[in-house]
Amino acid sequence: MSAQERAVNPGDRWKLSLDTWAVVLAFVAALLIRAGVFKHVPW
Amino acid sequence: MADAITVPQVQSARPALRFLRIIPGVLLLCAIGYAGKLLEQNVGAYAKAHHWTFPNIEYVLWAIVLGLTISNTVGVPEIFRTGVATYEFWLKAGIVLLGSRFLLGDILKLGGVSLVLVAIEITGSIAFMTFLGRLFKLKPKLTTLLAVGSAVCGVSAIIATKGAIDADDEDSSFSIAAILALGALALFSFPVIGHFLHLSDRAYGLWAGLGVDNTAEATAAGALYSDAEGKLAVLVKSTRNAMIGFVVLAYAIYWASKGQAQAVGNKAAFLWQKFPKFVLGFLLISVLATYHFFNKDQVGSLANLSRWAFLLTFAGVGLRTNFREMRKQGLRPFAVGAIGEVAIAGFTLALVVGASKIFGW
Repeated sequence: MSAQERAVNPGDRWKLSLDTWAVVLAFVAALLIRAGVFKHVPW
Repeated sequence: MADAITVPQVQSARPALRFLRIIPGVLLLCAIGYAGKLLEQNVGAYAKAHHWTFPNIEYVLWAIVLGLTISNTVGVPEIFRTGVATYEFWLKAGIVLLGSRFLLGDILKLGGVSLVLVAIEITGSIAFMTFLGRLFKLKPKLTTLLAVGSAVCGVSAIIATKGAIDADDEDSSFSIAAILALGALALFSFPVIGHFLHLSDRAYGLWAGLGVDNTAEATAAGALYSDAEGKLAVLVKSTRNAMIGFVVLAYAIYWASKGQAQAVGNKAAFLWQKFPKFVLGFLLISVLATYHFFNKDQVGSLANLSRWAFLLTFAGVGLRTNFREMRKQGLRPFAVGAIGEVAIAGFTLALVVGASKIFGW
């Protein structure tokens, strides 16, 4: 891969990784449970 | 773990289309995972009602076996593949939510011990895999990829290192194939060996976290023993994952010094880019749980949600494992990887047994 190809696209700078999206989803779920939107998650 | 894995088929598509494309595969993960859960509940009850002697098979194993059966018989149709590839995403979300079951004090105590063991494991594994690579006259960058994959965190470590050291696509495919094949074997062999050696719960959880390469397989190998060991295996594996940036940075600097990779500019930015963010999420949820941000019922709900996320992951592990595809890669990477993995499994087992004696587990 060349240096040019590696150059960061300005739009990509703000693109979240899969990793970060997983964290965001988990925190949204946790906050919804904390707020009482989901009272109980069964297993 | 595979934080660098993206879903290539949907990269260029519009967000709405991207979302639609993952739905069939995610539904398949849900169906297989739920079928695994139903089988766990019903097969045991049916066997008991008919006075059969039948081992209690956990949902983890059912979900993996169902996935494996589909993948290796009819195969996974194209329409499901993009969604099935999201199993790593559910794994990471599940790990973050699992943080609610760990109090910060436990993490510091267990994490401190595991950090020492992880440091020894990474150093020993890299040294041994480098030695093996030289012995088998593998290409140096292929050796680097195999060493990183087996020492740190499997596929994602290989992908992260590939970009940092400018390795060939062929070398990374070789390494990924070897690590995945060996991960599948470790998944089934670790619990059997653990039971055979009568390892204590804590020792087994530590061993699974230290010895199994991919996070999904380490989580499953732990959960096959019991839920508690699954939790511990995740904690130890996450400690290993946290080291990825440092190891990749060291290799990037090494290969750049030989003029065979780009120099690393801002080292702090490099470390942050490679650091698995879900480890931070796990710690943050744990801090919130420690300071009673969630009540007891809410912690129970978060833990259940984490188990649902893992259920999708286990289904994905089975669906992702295709033995025919692995055979196509040839025996060589598998042989080198296998020798290395067996040695690392033995080495980490000795470490854990030693630590058990010292700490009286």
